[in-house]
Amino acid sequence: MILPFFVIIPLACAFLISLLGKLNKRISDIFANLGTFTLLILSLSAIRYQLFAKVIVYRVGGWPPPIGISMVLDGLSSFILMSVNLVSFLVCLYSVSYMNKYTDKYRFHSLFMLMLAGMNGVIVTGDLFNLFVFLEIASISSYALVAFGTEAEELEASFKYAIMGSVASSFILLGIALLYSYTSTLNMADMGSVLLSRGNSLLVNFISVLFLMGFGLKAALVPFHAWLPDAHPSAPASISAMLSGVLIKVLGVYALMRIYFNILGINNIILSIFMFLGAASMLVGVILALGQWDFKRLLAYHSISQIGYIILGIGLGSPLGILAGLFHLFNHSIFKSLLFLNSGAVAYRLGTRDLQDMGGLKERMPTTANTNLVASLSIAGIPPFNGFFSKFLIIVACIQSRQIIYGICAVIASILTLASFMKVQKYAFFGKLNKKWQDIKEVPGIMQLSMVVLAVLCLVSALLITPLFKPYLESAVNVLLLGRGYNKAVFGALK
Amino acid sequence: MKLVSLYPYFKLDNLNSFIVLAIGLFSVLTLVYSLKFIKRHLFQYYTYIILTALAAGAAVLTNNLLLLSVFWGVLGLTLYLLVNLGENDASSVAKKTFIIVGGSDVLMLLGIGIIYYLTGTFQMDRITLHHSPLSSLAYLLIAIAGFAKAGAMPFHSWIPDYAQSAPVPVVAYLPASLDKLLGIYLLARISLDLFVMNNIMNIFLMLTGAFTIIAAVMMAIIQHNMKRLLGYHAVSQVGYMVLGIGTGNPLGIAGGIFHMLNHAIYKSGLFLTAGNVEINTQTTDLDKLGGLARIMPVTYISCLIASLAISGVPPFNGFFSKWMVYQGLIEQLHNTQYLIRTTSILCLVAAMFGSALTLASFMKLIHATFLSQRNNAMGQKRNNEVSWTMWFPPLILAIICAIFGIFANEIPLKYFIFPAVKQVSFLGTWGSGLSTFLIIAGLIFGLFVFRLKALTPVFRQDSAFTGGEVFDLPQTTVSGTEFYQTIKEFRLLQRIYKKAEEGLFDIYTLGKKIVFSISRIFQFLHNGILPTYLVWCLLGMLGLFFVMVR
Repeated sequence: MILPFFVIIPLACAFLISLLGKLNKRISDIFANLGTFTLLILSLSAIRYQLFAKVIVYRVGGWPPPIGISMVLDGLSSFILMSVNLVSFLVCLYSVSYMNKYTDKYRFHSLFMLMLAGMNGVIVTGDLFNLFVFLEIASISSYALVAFGTEAEELEASFKYAIMGSVASSFILLGIALLYSYTSTLNMADMGSVLLSRGNSLLVNFISVLFLMGFGLKAALVPFHAWLPDAHPSAPASISAMLSGVLIKVLGVYALMRIYFNILGINNIILSIFMFLGAASMLVGVILALGQWDFKRLLAYHSISQIGYIILGIGLGSPLGILAGLFHLFNHSIFKSLLFLNSGAVAYRLGTRDLQDMGGLKERMPTTANTNLVASLSIAGIPPFNGFFSKFLIIVACIQSRQIIYGICAVIASILTLASFMKVQKYAFFGKLNKKWQDIKEVPGIMQLSMVVLAVLCLVSALLITPLFKPYLESAVNVLLLGRGYNKAVFGALK
Repeated sequence: MKLVSLYPYFKLDNLNSFIVLAIGLFSVLTLVYSLKFIKRHLFQYYTYIILTALAAGAAVLTNNLLLLSVFWGVLGLTLYLLVNLGENDASSVAKKTFIIVGGSDVLMLLGIGIIYYLTGTFQMDRITLHHSPLSSLAYLLIAIAGFAKAGAMPFHSWIPDYAQSAPVPVVAYLPASLDKLLGIYLLARISLDLFVMNNIMNIFLMLTGAFTIIAAVMMAIIQHNMKRLLGYHAVSQVGYMVLGIGTGNPLGIAGGIFHMLNHAIYKSGLFLTAGNVEINTQTTDLDKLGGLARIMPVTYISCLIASLAISGVPPFNGFFSKWMVYQGLIEQLHNTQYLIRTTSILCLVAAMFGSALTLASFMKLIHATFLSQRNNAMGQKRNNEVSWTMWFPPLILAIICAIFGIFANEIPLKYFIFPAVKQVSFLGTWGSGLSTFLIIAGLIFGLFVFRLKALTPVFRQDSAFTGGEVFDLPQTTVSGTEFYQTIKEFRLLQRIYKKAEEGLFDIYTLGKKIVFSISRIFQFLHNGILPTYLVWCLLGMLGLFFVMVR
């Protein structure tokens, strides 16, 4: 039974690090990296269930599901677990060197592992209230991590993030409470079947709106996105990578998918809302990104835009659309975390995030520059990198579902994304070397290693769409296409 | 491995076979030329060049639209990476180039998506699309990708900048030859095989072509930089190819494709000679050059032949293909539709006028660079011809220009063009052999007459006086850059030129303005105040309630 370990390991690490971290500087590094590495191995081993379309259910405390809390591992959760733990392993590796410039590194690691516990919990849980609890664990530790630098800017960003996050959480809690009163159960699978038998009602629509706002804010969909451009750049780069790379996807996109497709039931109105919000986020995010001169802020706006792509793909509701959306989710988690790690590497040596202040860094920091080029090309959708394939699939899926207008929106956003990353390349890495940075060196080896691995993944993960690996993506898609057949899948696995 | 075994993915046919041959030729010549020219970033440079050659070959040979878009994207990428190896403001040119070229690639993706939706396949030889609004949109989107690559207006604005900033062999290799081949190949492929053309598409192509010819050549004649001038001509000549394909009759299409091949040859040659000038004098500014014919005879001859070819002077290849395009347009005059007839006349006039202006601007270029008097402003290093690796490739290209012109019917048309475009019949006859003979005879006769006269010189040379001051002749060279100053000072044109230099006709600058004005509105809304953000959330929720709970 590997399921509970996805939560136990990071929780235990967080606990041990905060207990022992003060004794020795190395302890927190070792514990955190061991923890994330084990989680990566676990998620890799979870793939084998996914390929045989097997659903695993774990009974917490031995109580059978409708009564007790359960944990569920199916194609979708295994897929998301993979991307989360892959990114968190590489980010944790990167932090070994990067976080040296901060004091109290062990507190960072402890919060990091706590956040990871929250995210993994959200993914594996089969209980709606439990999902809320894990969501809060992840959110609150991320509020603290955003403020980790404790400068005025960071504290302000964290404050805004905390307020808006709490508003969203309270709406989510309200929604869960109303659902509980309506269905008398908290188990997600059970709730799905009860809602199916009761049919549609006004209350369910009301709850849908509450969830859309709540999880939409966590996913940073326009118009609930305003916290993100402040919060993501203020955090240490490795945390920005986690926040933009995986947190918004787990707390936002994954939760939205799971709740709407498997519990509340999807209908055309919700799908068209998804598509509309997705397209709006896509365009607004990228247009705002174009005007930015702060490297990380620019990246943060792109996260809004890329989440828009994912939601648009999923909102199409067709198998191809969902596949494209999930594929883009995975790709985005890789290239966006790489981009944030690059920005961290630049800040590590230069101490600045202002693009106008950089210039010609390619000569002095070749690894950073080249990995950043790869990531920029991936996010801009240039072949042969992964972003090209997922964007292409999203565009094809849009046309296939006769949503040509949304297809055109995706194309426009893609062109603007390219423009904005050309700006990054021009000002930061190409061109003449700024005299100020004559003597800088490349970042330490371990940071380079983690960036290079991510850059290679940008190329390799394009293979996910080839017939050989496609079943992996499709098993995740099938969970969503199952709709409220999720109930049968979960209870069937118990027998 | 035979190409047949790769069949549904790759396919060799009459249209792409000679283009692959041309790609090979240009790759080899560029590599030879680069041996002495490129001094920095050798590893990166040669990797990108070879990658470009492979991707270009694959893009032309592929029979699968998805693979085509992948290779196409890789080509855009190498185009971008190569210009970044250049000096001075190469990085901003690189940015502009990739935004235009890469952006058009995304549009092509949308077009391919639509084709897939309509036909259910990516296999190019199984696609035939008839007229419908959606298929017209797909045609337009893919044509835009071809236009941006080849540099037809309004997607041309990266080419003059690229020509000025990138290393010369790169310019000669990509925008001057390979990108033309690829862009026009794509246009020809979709126009001939994938889509069934209708009148509106043809008129659209013809007008784009004619406008490109005139507007770009008008920009070219006022340029002061050799490479930039050539860059504008690289845009202008695309007009003839698009125009030829736009006529929709076999003769015009064959002319357009032949012109594509010819253009790649002479424009590549011209850029390489510009590179020789740059290596020898450290500048390509026409104001600072002059009198190089004496020191660089081989470069001069190659440049002269290529210039005559691009200006459409018989017996060179440029004349032949332009003549075919004109005939294609004349044939359209028999069309039953009034609109087509009018457009054809208009385009014919534009094309001929453009050809005359091309000649004019190349007279300026040849005069200012190779003839006139030696300019002391030149930072001269050497007083001799450049190394053979650098004069040999342009010479070869110049010889091909002459061969393709004089033996047009016997070699290029017979082996390359006619197999690709069937049923071409000429309206009139042009015996290239005889005319060449007559031209040479005329030249010899003229020379003879001139010599006869020159035997007894009757002119005398004296120092010049103006207003009582001795005029120092060597100090006052006529550089040739001022030849067409009057055109620029013509009032209406003056205004247009001013706007053009501000970038009003540049799709990149325009797009930038629009996007940034929208961006400013959004930025104004993001004022950083928490209550504002909460109000948005509330408004968003109200909107959702309105949709969901009614």
